[in-house]
Amino acid sequence: MLALSEIVHSKLKFALIALAIGLVVALTMTLSAMSEGLVTGMTGAKGNLDADALVFQGDTYLNFERSLLTTEDVEQIRSAEGVAQAYGVGHVYISVDAPEESFDTHAFGLTDDFEQLPVVEGVGGMPQDGETIVDETVRSEGVEVGDTVTLTPIGRELTVIGFTESRRYVMAPVFYVNMNTYEDLRAASMFGVMAETSDAELPSATHVIDAVEGNVSVAAVKLDEGTTVEGLAAALEDDFDVVTPDEAALAGNGMPVMVLAVNGIQGVSFVIGALVIGVFFYITTLHKTGQIAAIKALGASNAFVYRQLLAQILLLVTAGALLGTGLALGAGASMPPAMAFDPRPDRWGVTLALVYLMAFVGSLFSLRSILKIDPATALDHAEH
Amino acid sequence: MSLLEVSDVSKTYGSGRGVVTALEDVTFSVETGSMLAILGPSGSGKTTLLSIVAGLLQPTSGRIVIDGQPIHLRSQREAALYRRDKIGIVFQDYHLIPYLSAVENLLLMPRLAGRATRAHREKALGLLEEFGIGERAKHAPWELSGGERQRVAIARALMNDPEIMLVDEPTANLDTERGTQVVAMLGEHVRGRDMTCLMVTHDVRMAEGADRVLRLVDGRVV
Repeated sequence: MLALSEIVHSKLKFALIALAIGLVVALTMTLSAMSEGLVTGMTGAKGNLDADALVFQGDTYLNFERSLLTTEDVEQIRSAEGVAQAYGVGHVYISVDAPEESFDTHAFGLTDDFEQLPVVEGVGGMPQDGETIVDETVRSEGVEVGDTVTLTPIGRELTVIGFTESRRYVMAPVFYVNMNTYEDLRAASMFGVMAETSDAELPSATHVIDAVEGNVSVAAVKLDEGTTVEGLAAALEDDFDVVTPDEAALAGNGMPVMVLAVNGIQGVSFVIGALVIGVFFYITTLHKTGQIAAIKALGASNAFVYRQLLAQILLLVTAGALLGTGLALGAGASMPPAMAFDPRPDRWGVTLALVYLMAFVGSLFSLRSILKIDPATALDHAEH
Repeated sequence: MSLLEVSDVSKTYGSGRGVVTALEDVTFSVETGSMLAILGPSGSGKTTLLSIVAGLLQPTSGRIVIDGQPIHLRSQREAALYRRDKIGIVFQDYHLIPYLSAVENLLLMPRLAGRATRAHREKALGLLEEFGIGERAKHAPWELSGGERQRVAIARALMNDPEIMLVDEPTANLDTERGTQVVAMLGEHVRGRDMTCLMVTHDVRMAEGADRVLRLVDGRVV
């Protein structure tokens, strides 16, 4: 009651405090979403693969670009104990001659399970030869559904039939193709330029296609109930590395260092934000020393005074949290699609919980000053 | 029978050569339904004495007994409860809560003890009416004159039906005419409600409104 009355009485002061809390919340939430966006942008195509486990060639450090599995490897994985389903995922670098400007990106060939791709525009399902489903961020390069893009320098063409989302790799939109197209692109990327420019004796196109046919980068595996990733790794022995998609997402391409850095940025911003919130309430308490002394002199317990402070903190942090969430969502909505921004309700929930926790911890400093306020000072006016 | 008995109360601050004596062997008693004015110049120890009786300060030595119960040995928590339930304090600077209206300032007292009921609100409005400021009940302290604020402060002190009223320089911020009115009003309420009142003042004219006067100089009763 006292808490609310004081807020109503000093609207501007408390609105500014709530605004400051809101800005802190917005800052930490935006940084969290941008960090998540960065991770998604770097590895979304890996981490979002519909699988319980990803199987890499052994000793390739969970690197898509280095791992290579043959048809026999995939069959061995498929027939391993505890494997319910396995499909191959192939990776190849491509360069796209887009309307805006050419850009380098990645094509993923899937042997199966195209239904896993959420379609935000166009059509989904298995693409035909020469067709592709692309992450929607390719729009920023001027590519739209229905466009046919040319891959340089190999001269292949791909028709975009649909857009998917959260499927980027190393910050570039992934082009999903069927295995025929993948093998064609891979063979072309390996030998196409050489065939056109070198005088050396080269293997025939048929020989090259034969050499890459059926090869993929990794196998995406769905496990039987009760089978664990560790169990599959033990069953496959040392020839393969087996991890979850999330673990694969955070490996390679400098990801461990990057994740450490973004976590550090979030941590520092959060600690600073928490200190700001704590200091606000501490200063507010210090400004009310005389008033608190009078209330205590009238017979209020320290618990009564602290309860009023906690109620005030709860109200202001709630207002700040709502404002901050709105600001963070607004900031995200105003960012271009190519910009890394991936709000995760669970991470934002943790951020909010920590803001409340830190406000509570900050209130303990105020409690310390409340305990130290001598009610006798309410009567003290330079008289002894 | 005396409601309040103060026996040989002394209060010193500091230690060794830096010791300052604020009160020295102060002894007096006050009957129920009477008003005692503690008169003295600035620095005479009046407020220290008031603080000790309120349980806000511990005496260095001596006894304070209220209604047969020694109160100088109580813990801070017990002293706070005692002030909340048995004592009404009127501060020199009023110390009205600036963000509460006049009636809400009165309702602060029952809120300290739990919650304010409709009966408490009616009582608070009645007290403000008695003090002639009923129409100012919903006004904030900054909207009231000095005299009105003083009356709100006195009404707040009466909200919990205290046995003892402790009033600190009630006329310090008022002109003589308004000061005299406030002291007269205070006297009426003290006698009418069978309470005991200790009023600290440095103004001889205001002290004349009390039933007895205790003169304090340099911490001693003279």
